[in-house]
Amino acid sequence: MGFAVGLPLVVLLAILQSAVFSHLGLFEGRPDLVLLAVVAWSLAGRTHEAMAWGFAGGLALDLLSGLPLGISALSLVAIAYLASLTEGRFWEGHLLVPLGAALFGGLLFHAIELAALWLSGHPIDLAVAAARILLPSLFLDVVLAIPALQAASSMREALFPPKVTVG
Amino acid sequence: MQPSSKSLTALILTLLAAGLLVLSLAGYTQPAESLVLRPLAGVQSWVALRFAALRDLLTSPRDVATLRARNAELEAQLASLQQQVIALQEQVAEAEVLSALLDYARSRPASRYLAADVIGEDASPFLRSVWIGTGSDAGIARGMPVVTERGLVGRVVEVHATVSRVQLITDPQSAVNVLLQDSRADGVLAAQPNGEIRIDLISQEAQVSNDELVLTSGLGGGYPADIPVGRVVSVRRRDFEVFQEAVIQPAVDFEQMQLVLVITSFPTAPESIVAP
Repeated sequence: MGFAVGLPLVVLLAILQSAVFSHLGLFEGRPDLVLLAVVAWSLAGRTHEAMAWGFAGGLALDLLSGLPLGISALSLVAIAYLASLTEGRFWEGHLLVPLGAALFGGLLFHAIELAALWLSGHPIDLAVAAARILLPSLFLDVVLAIPALQAASSMREALFPPKVTVG
Repeated sequence: MQPSSKSLTALILTLLAAGLLVLSLAGYTQPAESLVLRPLAGVQSWVALRFAALRDLLTSPRDVATLRARNAELEAQLASLQQQVIALQEQVAEAEVLSALLDYARSRPASRYLAADVIGEDASPFLRSVWIGTGSDAGIARGMPVVTERGLVGRVVEVHATVSRVQLITDPQSAVNVLLQDSRADGVLAAQPNGEIRIDLISQEAQVSNDELVLTSGLGGGYPADIPVGRVVSVRRRDFEVFQEAVIQPAVDFEQMQLVLVITSFPTAPESIVAP
């Protein structure tokens, strides 16, 4: 069920990111909706599905951008895995975990993206990219991390209600 | 347990603060402040309106029930009319854009055009390109120039059946041969990674002036000649350098693009014909 709902969802989010949120960003940055969905679903305890979401959503993002196909998918799968490492830790339920996961996930995501562009010969001014794109995007990702986790938790409860033993 | 949690809190808050500080030092927080003020002003306006209504109600007692019913009726009519106005404004705006594009196409009858909707921007914020809702099914091919009624947008760099990706002239990988209209100097326009759009390789002898119109030269055959590209905003000329440079303001507002024209065929500039 998580795959059936999540895969179309991340594709839709990738489309929204390209068609809608490119106009709604902060400066030249924009929220990474697919990244947020993947991180939130991973933190909600659905790691395997989150990695699949990352793969599908990453491919959709790559298709909607000039990046080499597979770069975003690779980074989002890695981010979903890394986010799952919080599972079972004593600070797993801390409010700041999703904020940190979104921040470092976003950093890793954009670092891989920039490295891919640099390796492909695309001219990049790192200072300008950081000030105009990276920091605003990270700020937006962090701001949206808590609502994303709440949405993911609600979705998990709706799709996978906890088993109740009677008697 | 506690120190680790505190460290995490401190780290994230420090990073957030540092991010905001950098943005503030770079002068980017002004729009954000305006953004915060917008909902505040909305709430302020809401409170003021309700207060005025309450004051009127207290100072001039009337048939409140009748007035409320009439008010609700008028508000419903107003909402309906506002929806119609918005729909009509959208239609007028689209018609205006189409009309302007048609005028542009008519002014250059030698070329063939295909109108296309801009359906999105590149999913990566580091790349300057847009997606248009027309592809190889409609005859779009890689390398075709793209314009609006205002001037040059870029060129098609990726083509699929129903969509294509257009690399904007603001992308650092883009390069366009241009001609400065008044000084008749040639140059190569290339966007810089810092966002500046610069013309390089301008001869030192050329008398380039601010506000001079920049057109495509047609050299190389990649773009048709005489498409407006922008206007010169500053010139850098140093005696010890071989060429001078100029920074331009593009003619097209890339944020507001809704419809574009893809030039599917155009006459090649005489200069670009290579002698056998």
